[in-house]
Amino acid sequence: MNRNNIFIHVALAIVLILVAAFAGQLNKWRKQWKSHARIVTVEEKKKALSAEDISLSETRSLGAPEILVKFKSGVTQAAIERLTAERNDRVEDRIENAAGWEAIDDFDNADAATLVKEYQQLPEVEYAEPNYEINLEETGAGPLVPILPHDPQFNDQWALANSGQRGGKKGADISATLAWAKTTGSDDVVVAVLDTGVDYNHEDLTENMWRRPEKMDPYRDNELGTIDDENGFNAIDGTDPMDDNGHGTHCAGIIGAEGENNLGIAGVNWKVQIMPLKFMNAGGSGSTKDAIEAINYVIDRKRAGVNVRVISASWGSTQKSRALGDVIRKAYENDILFVAAAGNSSVDNDRNPHYPSSFDVPNVVSVAALDRHDALASFSNYGAKSVAIAAPGVDILSTWLGNEYEEKSGTSMATPVVSGVAALILAENPQMSVDDLKKKLLASTDPVAVLKGKTVTGGRINAAKALGE
Amino acid sequence: MAISKDIAVENARNDLATRLNIDSGDVKEKSVEDADFPDMALGAPEEDEMSGQMITRGWRITLEAQGQTFEYRADKNQVRAYKFNGKNYRI
Repeated sequence: MNRNNIFIHVALAIVLILVAAFAGQLNKWRKQWKSHARIVTVEEKKKALSAEDISLSETRSLGAPEILVKFKSGVTQAAIERLTAERNDRVEDRIENAAGWEAIDDFDNADAATLVKEYQQLPEVEYAEPNYEINLEETGAGPLVPILPHDPQFNDQWALANSGQRGGKKGADISATLAWAKTTGSDDVVVAVLDTGVDYNHEDLTENMWRRPEKMDPYRDNELGTIDDENGFNAIDGTDPMDDNGHGTHCAGIIGAEGENNLGIAGVNWKVQIMPLKFMNAGGSGSTKDAIEAINYVIDRKRAGVNVRVISASWGSTQKSRALGDVIRKAYENDILFVAAAGNSSVDNDRNPHYPSSFDVPNVVSVAALDRHDALASFSNYGAKSVAIAAPGVDILSTWLGNEYEEKSGTSMATPVVSGVAALILAENPQMSVDDLKKKLLASTDPVAVLKGKTVTGGRINAAKALGE
Repeated sequence: MAISKDIAVENARNDLATRLNIDSGDVKEKSVEDADFPDMALGAPEEDEMSGQMITRGWRITLEAQGQTFEYRADKNQVRAYKFNGKNYRI
Protein backbone atom coordinates (compact mmCIF):
# COMPACT_ATOMS: atom_id res chain seq x y z
CA MET A 1 0.00 0.00 0.00
CA ASN A 2 1.54 3.28 -1.08
CA ARG A 3 1.59 6.46 0.98
CA ASN A 4 -1.33 8.05 -0.98
CA ASN A 5 -3.58 5.04 -0.35
CA ILE A 6 -2.91 5.24 3.39
CA PHE A 7 -4.05 8.92 3.41
CA ILE A 8 -7.21 8.03 1.45
CA HIS A 9 -8.09 5.22 3.87
CA VAL A 10 -7.43 7.41 6.93
CA ALA A 11 -9.58 10.20 5.43
CA LEU A 12 -12.38 7.73 4.67
CA ALA A 13 -12.25 6.38 8.22
CA ILE A 14 -12.48 9.90 9.65
CA VAL A 15 -15.45 10.70 7.43
CA LEU A 16 -17.22 7.49 8.51
CA ILE A 17 -16.60 8.26 12.18
CA LEU A 18 -17.94 11.80 11.73
CA VAL A 19 -21.06 10.55 9.92
CA ALA A 20 -21.70 8.00 12.68
CA ALA A 21 -21.21 10.62 15.38
CA PHE A 22 -23.52 13.06 13.58
CA ALA A 23 -26.18 10.37 13.19
CA GLY A 24 -25.95 9.63 16.90
CA GLN A 25 -26.30 13.30 17.74
CA LEU A 26 -29.25 13.59 15.38
CA ASN A 27 -30.96 10.74 17.19
CA LYS A 28 -30.24 12.40 20.54
CA TRP A 29 -31.66 15.70 19.29
CA ARG A 30 -34.73 13.89 17.99
CA LYS A 31 -35.33 12.31 21.38
CA GLN A 32 -34.78 15.60 23.16
CA TRP A 33 -37.25 17.31 20.86
CA LYS A 34 -39.79 14.57 21.48
CA SER A 35 -39.43 14.82 25.23
CA HIS A 36 -40.08 18.55 25.04
CA ALA A 37 -42.86 18.24 22.55
CA ARG A 38 -44.94 16.17 24.92
CA ILE A 39 -45.27 16.77 28.61
CA VAL A 40 -44.80 13.33 30.03
CA THR A 41 -43.61 13.54 33.58
CA VAL A 42 -44.78 10.85 35.95
CA GLU A 43 -47.30 13.06 37.67
CA GLU A 44 -48.69 14.45 34.47
CA LYS A 45 -49.04 11.05 32.90
CA LYS A 46 -50.88 9.86 35.98
CA LYS A 47 -53.22 12.79 35.62
CA ALA A 48 -53.78 12.10 31.97
CA LEU A 49 -54.72 8.49 32.63
CA SER A 50 -58.41 9.06 32.26
CA ALA A 51 -58.12 11.40 29.32
CA GLU A 52 -60.77 9.50 27.44
CA ASP A 53 -63.30 10.59 30.05
CA ILE A 54 -63.10 14.20 29.05
CA SER A 55 -63.74 16.16 25.97
CA LEU A 56 -61.18 15.50 23.35
CA SER A 57 -62.62 17.85 20.82
CA GLU A 58 -59.28 19.59 20.63
CA THR A 59 -57.20 16.48 20.27
CA ARG A 60 -55.66 15.24 17.08
CA SER A 61 -53.52 12.31 16.24
CA LEU A 62 -50.01 13.03 15.13
CA GLY A 63 -49.34 9.47 14.00
CA ALA A 64 -46.66 7.34 15.65
CA PRO A 65 -46.36 6.46 18.44
CA GLU A 66 -49.97 5.43 18.63
CA ILE A 67 -50.37 4.30 22.18
CA LEU A 68 -48.75 4.69 25.57
CA VAL A 69 -48.46 1.57 27.66
CA LYS A 70 -47.49 1.17 31.27
CA PHE A 71 -46.07 -2.28 31.94
CA LYS A 72 -46.24 -3.82 35.38
CA SER A 73 -43.15 -3.56 37.51
CA GLY A 74 -40.86 -6.52 37.03
CA VAL A 75 -41.57 -6.84 33.32
CA THR A 76 -38.17 -6.65 31.67
CA GLN A 77 -37.31 -4.52 28.67
CA ALA A 78 -36.55 -7.73 26.75
CA ALA A 79 -40.01 -9.05 27.54
CA ILE A 80 -41.58 -5.78 26.46
CA GLU A 81 -39.73 -5.86 23.18
CA ARG A 82 -40.75 -9.50 22.64
CA LEU A 83 -44.42 -8.72 23.34
CA THR A 84 -44.43 -5.81 20.94
CA ALA A 85 -42.54 -7.69 18.24
CA GLU A 86 -45.06 -10.54 18.43
CA ARG A 87 -47.74 -8.02 17.46
CA ASN A 88 -45.70 -6.43 14.69
CA ASP A 89 -45.30 -3.36 16.87
CA ARG A 90 -42.21 -1.72 18.26
CA VAL A 91 -41.21 0.28 21.28
CA GLU A 92 -40.88 3.69 19.77
CA ASP A 93 -39.67 5.44 22.88
CA ARG A 94 -39.29 5.02 26.62
CA ILE A 95 -40.92 7.93 28.30
CA GLU A 96 -38.46 9.89 30.32
CA ASN A 97 -39.20 10.29 34.03
CA ALA A 98 -42.08 7.84 33.83
CA ALA A 99 -40.90 4.42 34.87
CA GLY A 100 -42.65 1.62 33.05
CA TRP A 101 -44.27 3.78 30.38
CA GLU A 102 -43.50 2.96 26.76
CA ALA A 103 -44.64 4.67 23.61
CA ILE A 104 -45.57 1.95 21.15
CA ASP A 105 -45.76 2.23 17.41
CA ASP A 106 -47.79 -0.12 15.24
CA PHE A 107 -46.83 -1.25 11.74
CA ASP A 108 -50.26 -2.61 10.81
CA ASN A 109 -52.15 0.69 10.79
CA ALA A 110 -54.49 -0.53 13.50
CA ASP A 111 -56.38 2.28 15.17
CA ALA A 112 -55.31 3.39 18.65
CA ALA A 113 -58.48 2.15 20.36
CA THR A 114 -57.93 -1.38 19.04
CA LEU A 115 -54.32 -1.32 20.14
CA VAL A 116 -55.25 -0.07 23.59
CA LYS A 117 -57.76 -2.89 23.96
CA GLU A 118 -55.23 -5.44 22.79
CA TYR A 119 -52.54 -4.31 25.19
CA GLN A 120 -54.87 -3.91 28.13
CA GLN A 121 -55.69 -7.60 27.88
CA LEU A 122 -52.06 -8.59 28.41
CA PRO A 123 -51.26 -9.71 31.96
CA GLU A 124 -47.95 -7.80 31.78
CA VAL A 125 -49.73 -4.49 31.18
CA GLU A 126 -50.97 -2.22 33.93
CA TYR A 127 -52.54 0.39 31.70
CA ALA A 128 -52.71 1.46 28.05
CA GLU A 129 -54.07 4.60 26.49
CA PRO A 130 -54.07 6.36 23.12
CA ASN A 131 -51.30 8.83 22.55
CA TYR A 132 -53.45 11.92 22.73
CA GLU A 133 -51.77 15.07 21.68
CA ILE A 134 -53.40 18.42 21.98
CA ASN A 135 -52.32 21.51 20.19
CA LEU A 136 -53.24 24.98 21.33
CA GLU A 137 -53.14 26.00 17.73
CA GLU A 138 -54.58 29.42 18.28
CA THR A 139 -52.13 30.23 21.03
CA GLY A 140 -49.05 28.87 19.36
CA ALA A 141 -48.17 27.33 22.71
CA GLY A 142 -47.27 23.94 21.27
CA PRO A 143 -48.69 20.52 21.99
CA LEU A 144 -49.93 19.97 25.52
CA VAL A 145 -51.42 16.99 27.27
CA PRO A 146 -54.61 17.69 29.25
CA ILE A 147 -54.07 17.44 32.96
CA LEU A 148 -56.78 15.71 34.93
CA PRO A 149 -56.96 15.86 38.69
CA HIS A 150 -57.92 12.90 40.88
CA ASP A 151 -60.48 14.87 42.86
CA PRO A 152 -63.34 12.36 43.05
CA GLN A 153 -66.13 14.65 41.86
CA PHE A 154 -64.16 16.17 39.01
CA ASN A 155 -66.24 14.35 36.41
CA ASP A 156 -69.26 16.36 37.53
CA GLN A 157 -67.47 19.64 36.86
CA TRP A 158 -68.68 20.15 33.31
CA ALA A 159 -67.56 23.76 33.36
CA LEU A 160 -63.95 22.61 33.49
CA ALA A 161 -64.19 19.54 31.26
CA ASN A 162 -67.43 18.97 29.39
CA SER A 163 -67.40 15.44 28.00
CA GLY A 164 -71.12 15.55 27.29
CA GLN A 165 -71.98 14.31 30.77
CA ARG A 166 -75.69 14.56 31.59
CA GLY A 167 -76.51 15.37 27.99
CA GLY A 168 -74.23 18.39 27.71
CA LYS A 169 -72.32 19.53 24.65
CA LYS A 170 -68.84 18.09 24.39
CA GLY A 171 -66.21 20.77 24.61
CA ALA A 172 -68.56 23.46 25.93
CA ASP A 173 -66.19 24.23 28.78
CA ILE A 174 -63.37 26.58 29.64
CA SER A 175 -60.57 24.20 28.54
CA ALA A 176 -59.25 24.03 32.08
CA THR A 177 -57.50 20.70 31.58
CA LEU A 178 -55.37 22.19 28.82
CA ALA A 179 -54.69 25.33 30.80
CA TRP A 180 -53.44 23.18 33.67
CA ALA A 181 -50.73 21.78 31.43
CA LYS A 182 -49.27 25.25 31.67
CA THR A 183 -50.15 26.24 35.22
CA THR A 184 -52.48 25.13 37.98
CA GLY A 185 -52.17 28.46 39.72
CA SER A 186 -49.93 30.04 42.29
CA ASP A 187 -50.26 30.72 45.98
CA ASP A 188 -48.61 34.06 45.30
CA VAL A 189 -51.88 35.28 43.81
CA VAL A 190 -54.62 36.48 46.17
CA VAL A 191 -58.26 36.64 45.05
CA ALA A 192 -60.73 38.46 47.30
CA VAL A 193 -64.15 36.82 47.44
CA LEU A 194 -66.50 39.66 48.36
CA ASP A 195 -69.56 37.75 49.47
CA THR A 196 -71.22 36.03 52.46
CA GLY A 197 -67.78 35.13 53.82
CA VAL A 198 -66.08 31.81 53.19
CA ASP A 199 -66.01 28.58 55.18
CA TYR A 200 -62.26 28.75 55.51
CA ASN A 201 -62.24 25.41 57.35
CA HIS A 202 -63.76 23.53 54.43
CA GLU A 203 -61.63 20.48 53.67
CA ASP A 204 -61.24 21.48 50.02
CA LEU A 205 -60.47 25.13 50.69
CA THR A 206 -58.45 25.36 53.86
CA GLU A 207 -55.08 24.92 52.15
CA ASN A 208 -55.85 27.73 49.74
CA MET A 209 -57.08 30.33 52.19
CA TRP A 210 -55.38 33.63 52.66
CA ARG A 211 -54.33 34.39 56.20
CA ARG A 212 -52.95 37.69 57.34
CA PRO A 213 -49.17 37.41 57.56
CA GLU A 214 -47.97 37.50 61.16
CA LYS A 215 -45.79 40.51 60.49
CA MET A 216 -48.66 42.52 59.05
CA ASP A 217 -50.58 44.80 61.39
CA PRO A 218 -54.26 44.05 61.93
CA TYR A 219 -56.65 46.17 59.92
CA ARG A 220 -57.89 49.42 61.38
CA ASP A 221 -61.35 50.55 60.34
CA ASN A 222 -62.46 54.10 61.13
CA GLU A 223 -65.85 52.94 62.33
CA LEU A 224 -65.16 49.43 63.65
CA GLY A 225 -61.76 50.13 65.17
CA THR A 226 -58.91 47.62 65.10
CA ILE A 227 -60.07 44.33 63.63
CA ASP A 228 -58.49 40.94 63.92
CA ASP A 229 -58.45 40.16 60.22
CA GLU A 230 -56.46 36.98 60.57
CA ASN A 231 -58.90 35.14 58.27
CA GLY A 232 -60.19 38.05 56.24
CA PHE A 233 -62.71 40.80 56.88
CA ASN A 234 -66.31 41.01 58.00
CA ALA A 235 -67.69 44.41 57.03
CA ILE A 236 -71.01 43.81 58.79
CA ASP A 237 -69.76 43.82 62.35
CA GLY A 238 -65.99 43.36 62.29
CA THR A 239 -66.15 39.79 63.54
CA ASP A 240 -65.04 36.64 61.82
CA PRO A 241 -65.69 36.34 58.04
CA MET A 242 -66.95 32.76 58.40
CA ASP A 243 -69.71 32.03 55.89
CA ASP A 244 -73.17 31.45 57.38
CA ASN A 245 -74.96 31.12 54.05
CA GLY A 246 -72.90 28.99 51.65
CA HIS A 247 -72.89 31.29 48.62
CA GLY A 248 -69.42 32.70 49.30
CA THR A 249 -68.02 29.24 49.98
CA HIS A 250 -69.45 28.05 46.67
CA CYS A 251 -67.84 30.92 44.78
CA ALA A 252 -64.53 30.36 46.57
CA GLY A 253 -64.50 26.70 45.55
CA ILE A 254 -65.01 27.57 41.90
CA ILE A 255 -61.99 29.86 42.01
CA GLY A 256 -59.72 27.74 44.13
CA ALA A 257 -60.81 24.44 45.63
CA GLU A 258 -57.55 22.62 46.14
CA GLY A 259 -56.79 20.38 43.18
CA GLU A 260 -55.31 16.89 43.18
CA ASN A 261 -55.97 16.38 46.89
CA ASN A 262 -58.30 13.40 46.43
CA LEU A 263 -61.15 15.40 47.94
CA GLY A 264 -64.30 16.73 46.32
CA ILE A 265 -63.62 18.99 43.39
CA ALA A 266 -60.88 21.01 41.72
CA GLY A 267 -61.02 24.78 41.42
CA VAL A 268 -60.03 26.66 38.30
CA ASN A 269 -56.88 27.20 40.37
CA TRP A 270 -55.49 24.24 42.29
CA LYS A 271 -53.31 26.66 44.18
CA VAL A 272 -54.25 30.22 45.02
CA GLN A 273 -55.00 32.33 48.07
CA ILE A 274 -58.66 33.10 48.72
CA MET A 275 -59.25 36.18 50.85
CA PRO A 276 -62.69 35.93 52.53
CA LEU A 277 -64.71 39.14 52.75
CA LYS A 278 -68.14 39.14 54.32
CA PHE A 279 -70.64 41.87 53.61
CA MET A 280 -73.75 39.78 52.94
CA ASN A 281 -75.66 38.14 55.77
CA ALA A 282 -76.99 34.62 56.26
CA GLY A 283 -79.84 35.43 53.87
CA GLY A 284 -77.41 36.34 51.09
CA SER A 285 -77.87 40.08 50.96
CA GLY A 286 -76.02 43.12 52.21
CA SER A 287 -75.76 46.88 52.03
CA THR A 288 -73.87 49.05 49.59
CA LYS A 289 -72.08 50.66 52.51
CA ASP A 290 -70.68 47.34 53.71
CA ALA A 291 -69.62 46.40 50.19
CA ILE A 292 -67.70 49.67 50.02
CA GLU A 293 -66.09 49.00 53.41
CA ALA A 294 -64.93 45.59 52.21
CA ILE A 295 -63.46 46.97 48.98
CA ASN A 296 -61.64 49.60 51.00
CA TYR A 297 -60.24 46.78 53.12
CA VAL A 298 -58.89 45.04 50.01
CA ILE A 299 -57.23 48.25 48.84
CA ASP A 300 -55.71 48.78 52.28
CA ARG A 301 -54.28 45.25 52.36
CA LYS A 302 -52.94 45.66 48.83
CA ARG A 303 -51.13 48.80 49.90
CA ALA A 304 -49.80 46.92 52.94
CA GLY A 305 -48.17 44.39 50.63
CA VAL A 306 -50.75 41.67 50.01
CA ASN A 307 -50.72 40.63 46.36
CA VAL A 308 -54.50 40.84 45.99
CA ARG A 309 -55.18 41.38 42.29
CA VAL A 310 -58.79 40.29 41.80
CA ILE A 311 -62.09 40.98 43.55
CA SER A 312 -64.82 38.49 42.70
CA ALA A 313 -68.27 40.01 43.13
CA SER A 314 -71.14 37.57 42.61
CA TRP A 315 -73.84 40.00 43.64
CA GLY A 316 -75.64 43.15 42.66
CA SER A 317 -78.85 45.05 42.22
CA THR A 318 -80.40 47.53 39.84
CA GLN A 319 -79.71 50.40 42.20
CA LYS A 320 -76.79 52.59 41.24
CA SER A 321 -74.51 53.90 43.95
CA ARG A 322 -72.00 56.51 42.94
CA ALA A 323 -69.97 55.78 46.08
CA LEU A 324 -69.69 52.12 45.09
CA GLY A 325 -68.56 53.11 41.60
CA ASP A 326 -65.94 55.41 43.10
CA VAL A 327 -64.43 52.76 45.35
CA ILE A 328 -64.27 50.28 42.45
CA ARG A 329 -62.39 52.93 40.51
CA LYS A 330 -60.06 53.26 43.49
CA ALA A 331 -59.46 49.52 43.27
CA TYR A 332 -58.61 50.00 39.59
CA GLU A 333 -56.07 52.65 40.52
CA ASN A 334 -54.53 50.03 42.79
CA ASP A 335 -54.23 47.51 39.97
CA ILE A 336 -57.13 45.32 41.12
CA LEU A 337 -59.53 43.66 38.69
CA PHE A 338 -63.23 43.66 39.62
CA VAL A 339 -65.18 40.74 38.18
CA ALA A 340 -68.95 41.10 38.63
CA ALA A 341 -72.11 39.10 37.98
CA ALA A 342 -74.26 40.44 35.13
CA GLY A 343 -77.45 39.54 37.01
CA ASN A 344 -80.20 36.95 36.76
CA SER A 345 -83.24 38.82 35.46
CA SER A 346 -83.03 37.79 31.79
CA VAL A 347 -82.78 41.44 30.76
CA ASP A 348 -80.54 43.54 28.55
CA ASN A 349 -78.14 45.41 30.81
CA ASP A 350 -77.53 47.96 28.05
CA ARG A 351 -81.10 49.14 28.71
CA ASN A 352 -81.59 48.07 32.30
CA PRO A 353 -78.24 48.37 34.04
CA HIS A 354 -77.27 46.07 36.88
CA TYR A 355 -74.68 47.22 39.40
CA PRO A 356 -71.81 46.90 40.07
CA SER A 357 -71.41 44.97 36.80
CA SER A 358 -72.66 47.90 34.69
CA PHE A 359 -70.28 50.49 36.08
CA ASP A 360 -68.24 52.08 33.32
CA VAL A 361 -64.96 51.64 35.18
CA PRO A 362 -61.94 50.13 33.38
CA ASN A 363 -61.36 47.24 35.79
CA VAL A 364 -64.94 45.94 35.74
CA VAL A 365 -65.59 42.67 33.88
CA SER A 366 -69.28 41.80 33.68
CA VAL A 367 -70.06 38.10 33.34
CA ALA A 368 -73.08 36.31 31.84
CA ALA A 369 -73.90 32.64 32.42
CA LEU A 370 -73.94 29.71 29.99
CA ASP A 371 -75.40 26.28 30.46
CA ARG A 372 -73.82 22.92 29.59
CA HIS A 373 -75.19 23.14 26.04
CA ASP A 374 -73.44 26.46 25.33
CA ALA A 375 -76.77 28.28 25.50
CA LEU A 376 -77.15 31.54 27.36
CA ALA A 377 -78.74 30.57 30.67
CA SER A 378 -82.45 31.35 30.65
CA PHE A 379 -82.02 33.66 33.64
CA SER A 380 -78.83 35.42 32.55
CA ASN A 381 -78.68 39.10 31.83
CA TYR A 382 -76.79 40.13 28.72
CA GLY A 383 -75.62 43.28 26.96
CA ALA A 384 -73.77 43.82 23.71
CA LYS A 385 -72.07 46.85 25.22
CA SER A 386 -72.18 46.25 28.93
CA VAL A 387 -71.63 42.51 29.49
CA ALA A 388 -68.08 41.55 28.64
CA ILE A 389 -67.94 37.80 28.59
CA ALA A 390 -69.76 34.57 29.39
CA ALA A 391 -68.80 31.56 31.48
CA PRO A 392 -70.46 28.38 32.70
CA GLY A 393 -73.05 29.19 35.35
CA VAL A 394 -75.71 26.47 35.45
CA ASP A 395 -75.54 23.36 37.67
CA ILE A 396 -72.08 24.24 38.87
CA LEU A 397 -70.73 21.90 41.51
CA SER A 398 -68.69 23.52 44.24
CA THR A 399 -67.93 23.63 47.93
CA TRP A 400 -70.68 24.27 50.51
CA LEU A 401 -70.91 24.68 54.25
CA GLY A 402 -69.93 21.76 56.47
CA ASN A 403 -67.51 20.06 54.06
CA GLU A 404 -70.37 19.55 51.64
CA TYR A 405 -70.63 20.09 47.87
CA GLU A 406 -73.66 21.42 46.03
CA GLU A 407 -74.71 22.34 42.52
CA LYS A 408 -75.90 25.91 42.12
CA SER A 409 -76.84 28.17 39.22
CA GLY A 410 -76.53 31.86 38.54
CA THR A 411 -74.29 34.53 37.16
CA SER A 412 -72.92 34.23 40.70
CA MET A 413 -71.36 30.96 39.59
CA ALA A 414 -70.11 32.26 36.22
CA THR A 415 -68.32 35.18 37.84
CA PRO A 416 -65.77 33.18 39.89
CA VAL A 417 -64.96 31.11 36.80
CA VAL A 418 -63.67 34.30 35.17
CA SER A 419 -62.02 35.44 38.41
CA GLY A 420 -60.29 32.07 38.53
CA VAL A 421 -59.01 32.39 34.99
CA ALA A 422 -57.72 35.87 35.83
CA ALA A 423 -55.80 34.32 38.73
CA LEU A 424 -54.32 31.67 36.41
CA ILE A 425 -53.12 34.41 34.07
CA LEU A 426 -51.54 36.23 37.00
CA ALA A 427 -49.85 33.02 38.13
CA GLU A 428 -48.05 33.00 34.79
CA ASN A 429 -47.70 36.77 34.48
CA PRO A 430 -47.40 38.19 37.99
CA GLN A 431 -46.53 41.68 36.83
CA MET A 432 -49.38 42.04 34.33
CA SER A 433 -51.25 45.31 34.77
CA VAL A 434 -54.98 45.32 35.42
CA ASP A 435 -55.56 46.86 31.98
CA ASP A 436 -53.60 44.10 30.27
CA LEU A 437 -55.27 41.46 32.42
CA LYS A 438 -58.71 42.59 31.34
CA LYS A 439 -57.61 42.75 27.70
CA LYS A 440 -56.21 39.24 27.99
CA LEU A 441 -59.45 37.89 29.41
CA LEU A 442 -61.56 39.50 26.73
CA ALA A 443 -59.25 38.20 24.01
CA SER A 444 -59.42 34.65 25.36
CA THR A 445 -62.81 33.34 24.33
CA ASP A 446 -64.32 30.67 22.17
CA PRO A 447 -67.02 32.18 19.97
CA VAL A 448 -70.51 30.99 20.88
CA ALA A 449 -73.21 31.66 18.30
CA VAL A 450 -75.94 32.60 20.76
CA LEU A 451 -73.73 35.23 22.35
CA LYS A 452 -73.31 37.22 19.16
CA GLY A 453 -74.85 40.60 19.86
CA LYS A 454 -75.43 39.59 23.49
CA THR A 455 -72.00 40.28 24.97
CA VAL A 456 -69.00 42.40 24.07
CA THR A 457 -66.83 39.42 23.13
CA GLY A 458 -69.52 37.06 21.91
CA GLY A 459 -67.65 34.21 23.52
CA ARG A 460 -67.10 31.83 26.39
CA ILE A 461 -63.93 32.29 28.43
CA ASN A 462 -61.19 29.82 27.51
CA ALA A 463 -58.54 29.35 30.18
CA ALA A 464 -56.08 27.65 27.85
CA LYS A 465 -56.24 30.55 25.41
CA ALA A 466 -55.81 32.96 28.29
CA LEU A 467 -52.49 31.31 29.05
CA GLY A 468 -51.30 31.40 25.46
CA GLU A 469 -49.03 34.08 24.15
CA MET B 1 -82.52 28.17 62.03
CA ALA B 2 -84.12 27.17 58.73
CA ILE B 3 -87.67 28.34 58.09
CA SER B 4 -90.19 25.72 56.98
CA LYS B 5 -92.92 26.36 54.43
CA ASP B 6 -95.60 26.39 57.12
CA ILE B 7 -93.71 28.85 59.28
CA ALA B 8 -93.09 31.04 56.23
CA VAL B 9 -96.81 31.16 55.43
CA GLU B 10 -97.68 31.91 59.03
CA ASN B 11 -95.11 34.71 59.18
CA ALA B 12 -96.44 36.14 55.94
CA ARG B 13 -100.05 36.13 57.21
CA ASN B 14 -99.08 37.81 60.44
CA ASP B 15 -97.06 40.42 58.61
CA LEU B 16 -99.89 41.24 56.22
CA ALA B 17 -102.37 41.48 59.08
CA THR B 18 -100.07 43.94 60.83
CA ARG B 19 -99.59 46.04 57.70
CA LEU B 20 -103.33 46.17 57.03
CA ASN B 21 -104.16 46.52 60.71
CA ILE B 22 -106.55 43.56 60.63
CA ASP B 23 -106.83 40.25 62.44
CA SER B 24 -104.65 37.50 61.00
CA GLY B 25 -107.78 35.34 60.80
CA ASP B 26 -109.01 37.72 58.10
CA VAL B 27 -106.04 36.90 55.89
CA LYS B 28 -106.70 33.97 53.58
CA GLU B 29 -104.06 31.75 52.02
CA LYS B 30 -104.80 31.69 48.31
CA SER B 31 -101.84 29.64 47.09
CA VAL B 32 -98.34 28.52 47.99
CA GLU B 33 -96.13 27.41 45.11
CA ASP B 34 -92.56 26.27 44.85
CA ALA B 35 -90.58 28.82 42.89
CA ASP B 36 -87.08 29.64 41.66
CA PHE B 37 -86.22 33.24 42.40
CA PRO B 38 -83.53 35.10 40.47
CA ASP B 39 -81.37 36.04 43.41
CA MET B 40 -80.89 35.68 47.13
CA ALA B 41 -83.19 38.60 47.85
CA LEU B 42 -85.83 36.44 46.13
CA GLY B 43 -86.25 39.09 43.45
CA ALA B 44 -87.61 41.42 46.12
CA PRO B 45 -84.68 43.57 47.24
CA GLU B 46 -85.17 46.39 49.67
CA GLU B 47 -83.76 49.78 48.88
CA ASP B 48 -79.95 49.80 48.98
CA GLU B 49 -79.77 46.04 49.20
CA MET B 50 -77.29 43.98 47.20
CA SER B 51 -77.84 40.27 46.89
CA GLY B 52 -76.08 37.15 45.68
CA GLN B 53 -76.92 36.39 42.05
CA MET B 54 -77.72 32.75 42.61
CA ILE B 55 -81.00 31.11 41.63
CA THR B 56 -82.77 30.49 44.92
CA ARG B 57 -85.41 27.86 45.53
CA GLY B 58 -88.30 28.98 47.71
CA TRP B 59 -92.06 29.54 47.87
CA ARG B 60 -94.33 32.12 46.32
CA ILE B 61 -97.12 32.78 48.81
CA THR B 62 -100.27 34.51 47.62
CA LEU B 63 -102.55 35.88 50.32
CA GLU B 64 -105.94 37.54 50.12
CA ALA B 65 -107.37 40.20 52.39
CA GLN B 66 -109.84 43.06 52.02
CA GLY B 67 -110.63 41.89 48.51
CA GLN B 68 -107.04 42.24 47.32
CA THR B 69 -104.23 39.77 46.69
CA PHE B 70 -100.75 40.17 48.12
CA GLU B 71 -97.55 38.33 47.24
CA TYR B 72 -94.93 37.14 49.68
CA ARG B 73 -91.73 35.31 48.85
CA ALA B 74 -89.88 33.03 51.17
CA ASP B 75 -87.08 30.51 51.42
CA LYS B 76 -85.42 28.69 54.26
CA ASN B 77 -83.68 31.91 55.34
CA GLN B 78 -86.28 34.63 55.01
CA VAL B 79 -89.76 35.93 54.21
CA ARG B 80 -90.31 39.00 52.09
CA ALA B 81 -93.31 41.12 51.19
CA TYR B 82 -93.20 41.68 47.42
CA LYS B 83 -94.17 45.12 46.17
CA PHE B 84 -96.47 45.95 49.06
CA ASN B 85 -97.67 49.39 48.06
CA GLY B 86 -94.81 49.38 45.54
CA LYS B 87 -92.06 48.47 48.00
CA ASN B 88 -90.33 45.28 49.05
CA TYR B 89 -89.83 44.42 52.69
CA ARG B 90 -87.77 41.76 54.40
CA ILE B 91 -89.75 40.67 57.47
